[in-house]
Amino acid sequence: MAETEPRTVVDAREESCPGPITDLAKAYRRSKVGDVIELWATDPGVKADVRAWAAKTQNEVVSIEDQADKVVAVLKIHRR
Amino acid sequence: MGATVAEAERGTNSGQETASKLAIIMYSGTADKFVPLGVLAQAAAAMSVEVNVFVTGFALMGFTKQRHELPFPPEFAALAPAMAQGMQANHVAGWDAMLREAKDLGAKVYACSMMSGVMGLKKQDFNELIDDVVGAAAFLKDAEGGQTLFI
Repeated sequence: MAETEPRTVVDAREESCPGPITDLAKAYRRSKVGDVIELWATDPGVKADVRAWAAKTQNEVVSIEDQADKVVAVLKIHRR
Repeated sequence: MGATVAEAERGTNSGQETASKLAIIMYSGTADKFVPLGVLAQAAAAMSVEVNVFVTGFALMGFTKQRHELPFPPEFAALAPAMAQGMQANHVAGWDAMLREAKDLGAKVYACSMMSGVMGLKKQDFNELIDDVVGAAAFLKDAEGGQTLFI
């Protein structure tokens, strides 16, 4: 298919816990099954929090990458 | 009645495997204890956990329309300015802003009817964070089957 999946970027840089997870949850509530959410964050707990959030809501962590200035987590929505 | 509405809402998602519940009994009236209330309520609500907060004891003073300055426990009072500064530097939201976020995501906050009576507080004396004034039995029924924290 020529179409690419809709990807929403959520910028939660500089926000402390539980800000990034809350922003993720808000994007999730607006999402549809099949959507991809890309979360940017700088909170040091965000990697474990994203994995916990995904396990709890039964969605998929596609990747979590450490970049120089932020962590980028990509999630695929399987359950709404 | 608020409790009945909350009950009906709960009934709709009780069949979901991922559904789980967190009950927080907020008793302490010192400013430091309100931070974990905000953080845990917001984080749990963000994880699609059903959150019920039962406010009782001195914690009721944090929820009145007439604002009360919440005290710091004396043993940590010397550290309070540094903590406030650190929270600001780390962009940590205030506890009430965090609780409001939790409520936007579905959390419910109830004031204890007995302690409200003891402190001379009526429903109209509470700010918009309080959804209803309920008794202990109603709260315990809400909390049943979930995790409960006492702060």
